[in-house]
Amino acid sequence: MFLTRSEYDRGVNTFSPEGRLFQVEYAIEAIKEGSTAIGIRTSEGVVLAVEKRLTSPLLEPSSVEKIMIIDHHMGCANSGLSADARILIDHARVVTQHHTFTYNEPMTTDSCAQAVCDLALRFGEDGREEDAMSRPFGVALLIAGVDEKGPALYHTDPSGTYVRWEAKAIGAGSEGAQTALQDAYSKMMTLEEAETLALKTLKQVMEEKLNSTNVEIAAVTAKDRKFRIYSSEELNQCIERL
Amino acid sequence: MNIDLSEALDTKYGRSGLSCEVGPDAVELGEEHVLTIPNVPRPDKFLSDSFKGQEAEVLKFAHGTTTLAFVFKHGIIAAVDSRASMGVYIGSGTVKKIIEINPFLLGTMAGGAADCSFWERDLGRQCRLFELRNKERISVAAASKLLVNSVSRFRGMGLSMGTMIMGWDKTGPALFYVDNDGTRLKGNLFSVGSGSTFAMGVLDIGYKYDLSVEEACELGRRSIYHATHRDGASGGIINIYHVGEDGWTKISSEDSAQKHYQYKAESTEQASAPMVTS
Amino acid sequence: MMDFGTPVLEPGSANGTKQVPQFNPYQDNGGTVASIAGDDYVIVAADTRFTLGYSIPTRKISRVLKINDKVMLGTAGMQADTCALHKVISTRMRMYEHDNNKRMTFNAVSQMLSTVLYYKRFFPYYTFNIVAGLDDKGEGWVCGYDAIGSFEQRKIVCNGAGTKLMQPVFDNQVDWAQSWDGAGKPNLSLEQATDLMKDAFTSAAEREITVGDTLQIYKITKDGIQLEEFELKKD
Repeated sequence: MFLTRSEYDRGVNTFSPEGRLFQVEYAIEAIKEGSTAIGIRTSEGVVLAVEKRLTSPLLEPSSVEKIMIIDHHMGCANSGLSADARILIDHARVVTQHHTFTYNEPMTTDSCAQAVCDLALRFGEDGREEDAMSRPFGVALLIAGVDEKGPALYHTDPSGTYVRWEAKAIGAGSEGAQTALQDAYSKMMTLEEAETLALKTLKQVMEEKLNSTNVEIAAVTAKDRKFRIYSSEELNQCIERL
Repeated sequence: MNIDLSEALDTKYGRSGLSCEVGPDAVELGEEHVLTIPNVPRPDKFLSDSFKGQEAEVLKFAHGTTTLAFVFKHGIIAAVDSRASMGVYIGSGTVKKIIEINPFLLGTMAGGAADCSFWERDLGRQCRLFELRNKERISVAAASKLLVNSVSRFRGMGLSMGTMIMGWDKTGPALFYVDNDGTRLKGNLFSVGSGSTFAMGVLDIGYKYDLSVEEACELGRRSIYHATHRDGASGGIINIYHVGEDGWTKISSEDSAQKHYQYKAESTEQASAPMVTS
Repeated sequence: MMDFGTPVLEPGSANGTKQVPQFNPYQDNGGTVASIAGDDYVIVAADTRFTLGYSIPTRKISRVLKINDKVMLGTAGMQADTCALHKVISTRMRMYEHDNNKRMTFNAVSQMLSTVLYYKRFFPYYTFNIVAGLDDKGEGWVCGYDAIGSFEQRKIVCNGAGTKLMQPVFDNQVDWAQSWDGAGKPNLSLEQATDLMKDAFTSAAEREITVGDTLQIYKITKDGIQLEEFELKKD
């Protein structure tokens, strides 16, 4: 598929004559191999829902972490190389804690997305051995948070771009899911309707049958500004509504 | 010469634990996130040398204090005064010397006010990161070790901190004493500060493991009161906290001067009451 | 005051002594800053006298930095460190605005100053600061700091050379410290607070040589910041 692009895709620092950075584009392709994740913003809060790929019945589902907490008021879902996600999320945690330490206030969702992307963008830089980064991160994040401006959903990608969305799907099923979201999304949605829409959309694009072990759902609400991953009972209740 | 503060201050991804590189090789994240050390042969003597023979306020940070904490049947009691003296001047009479690190951990403040509040605030940050990374609360033993590690990097450079770290973890109530020399002791009863000898005298007489929560609070309160009475560098408000299974609660905040008259009235009452003989 | 390279003999070298150059990086330029906070206002006052030992090289320096429409920083102590600190705080404030797309609140400024001061724990800014401002609800507050960032949020703070003369008066007139139950504690209006501030500085100028010349009083309310200048004794 990319055979014609040779010569300009060896290094992360080289533009092609058409002005493209192929390594970054390939990293974005890596996300399309990843499991699907969906985020929906409503005025009441933000819902994140992810598909967990359980490749073997012997795999322990709880050890597959697709949604992680960043701070009390913020969390994220990821798609792509989950090893890279761990590093970005740990960075987000360190940065939010440092912000709280310095300013005695929670960090805004926007600043956190920016901080994550600052790290994501460092692939081209020289660094001493421990700092050196050989390639872009092959992961996309959906960051959900609540701050004084209300609930917000951000999408970050390997190029270091971050954009705000009302509803966004990433991963293998993202194309179909995004279309479905575009049709069904309404600004007037309640959080509960968003939970249902997220799971319904996930169900459409998943190869396996959706159940409480192969999906995970989390939400941050505007009311209490707390990010929470749903327990299996809460998840089952959501699934029953489908 | 700079000292890198801790991992929160470096953006090196994926590195947990402390980086404590001292010297020009320290990883810098911009000037503002690094503790600057004066470039002189003896940085530890820098301040005292600069102010030799001068009546300089810069050296006088809050010092006099009485703080105490003890473990008993129903958890831990922490009791403190609220006076911050700069030399003989009372810099503040309303200092909060019990630092709420998080809902399950408390620290006390004795020594330099800035040293205590900065490093215990930093401890709060480290504990929160531990919690996020490990999905469980940090033990009191580990938390106090993090603090002692932080201040040990500056050992001999003039930090002044004598603190008690306490909380409730999987092992039950736990109390540690940590200071700027790098001392870290686990124990059931500590008192720190210039008024600590007075407080300890009262505390030792009344202490029993089986005290009720109310009795224990009153014992702490009385111990601090007697220290504020005899130690000029202690005074102001007496603050009492209780650490239980569900975290800490603030019990009371009372003026030591008012306590004086209350206790005095009580003791006169007792003296005038008919003696009961058996 | 300034010691440049005064040689000090120290035991240890071949002939029993060696010369070690001494350098004192600090000087005290006096000055006092004070602030009274009310329910919907806060005033920041600072005198403008600059002293060096017993001499007065200038009578008109500003000790106050406007952070934004709701927060101000007042600094007493060494003038060079004051300038350096104000520059650092201004820069950090601007960077914060760019990074977070919002103004710094009183709460954020007060915590940031504490960390900025502590990062120079072993080579402190020789400055004594107050941060005064309106919080998110519009209520006035002030934080007082020591040289290395220990701070406390209160309704009345005085810092710098005149502290020992002025703070007890404020404790009496504003905090009502003489009363145990706080009965009769006045709720000062902006005008009353301003008058009290003028009185306190006038009295301090009578007895403290580093206080005098002009008193700058910044009044922070929901409508913005207003400056009033009040002349103190020039001797």
